[in-house]
Amino acid sequence: MSTINFATREINFKIVYYGPGLSGKTTNLKFVYSRIPEDRKGEMVSLATEDERTLFFDFLPVDLGEVKGFKTRFHLYTVPGQVFYNASRKLILRGVDGIVFVADSAPNRLRANAESMRNLRENLAEYELSLEEIPMVLQINKRDLPDALPVDMVRAVIDPEQKYPVFEAVAIQGKGVFEPLREVSRMVLGRLAPQK
Amino acid sequence: MIEPSIALFGESFEEASRVLEQLIEDTGAQYALLVDRKGFVLAHKEALWAPRPPALDSLATLVAGNAAATKALAELLGEPRFSELVHQGERQGLYVEEVNDLTLLVIIFDQNAPVGRVKLFGKRAAGMLDRITERAKVESSAARKRLGLDTEYRESASALLDDLFGDL
Repeated sequence: MSTINFATREINFKIVYYGPGLSGKTTNLKFVYSRIPEDRKGEMVSLATEDERTLFFDFLPVDLGEVKGFKTRFHLYTVPGQVFYNASRKLILRGVDGIVFVADSAPNRLRANAESMRNLRENLAEYELSLEEIPMVLQINKRDLPDALPVDMVRAVIDPEQKYPVFEAVAIQGKGVFEPLREVSRMVLGRLAPQK
Repeated sequence: MIEPSIALFGESFEEASRVLEQLIEDTGAQYALLVDRKGFVLAHKEALWAPRPPALDSLATLVAGNAAATKALAELLGEPRFSELVHQGERQGLYVEEVNDLTLLVIIFDQNAPVGRVKLFGKRAAGMLDRITERAKVESSAARKRLGLDTEYRESASALLDDLFGDL
């Protein structure tokens, strides 16, 4: 649930980029950081190893602006994708409002995509949450790979029931980075202020 | 289950701010913050003489991440929690005290504030903040209602989303 600070009139949302190792979660955040105007973003914090693998999380605060007198802000996080780092990955999910699942189009990562989705469900369950309660969109990244799998094939392993919005992306070039972020933000806002 | 939120406003926000202010006075610390465990700042105060604080968003996020990792470590060792966390550098120190399951107290101090004093008054302040934040705990639907967040809010926010993410 979003954190609402009545006194300072702020509404904060937490959006988490989830997915297997090296699927491009940090790349997404770096691109967002590079394009958001200075006055609308805070510092980007990266807790990474020397070889630039995310160790704990990346963090980027983005100011949406003032809505009905409330400063509305999104806190974007990535989790470490490597299987090994599950203990820290789980911690980042606390208080999550929305998820961008970043899947890898490489044929040899198909299984890693499926495992990461299963791991997401398990970790959410530890907070007594399920994917039915948290808005989520899928980003199928690395569409520029020469041997990229068809989108339907990647989707079949992470979203067989086709419940979530899907976006194709080449995050390193900034293609398909903002669309999923905008969609998940919209879904999160929709939950805060449901239609009557 | 969606976690309850802390909605500090009106009297409870004033009270929490007074506790932080008094804490700065009693310890000689530079900054005192009440943050939630998700990494958001709920209230903060700084000493009049203190230099501009670092980015509070980053600070709260890192403290919450650190506290979460420390708690996980405690559980691995069979402890319910490690209640306090102190980092001391050459010139500045950081003290984190658990207020309760939802919030943390963060105190940043320099060499003028003795760490013993920071701990003593920090624990006392955490007790007071616990009572204040317990009263300010609300269920998410109640918070929404109180805010009057409605279709209009959603539509305005969506328009801003298009402005910010649409033209980049």
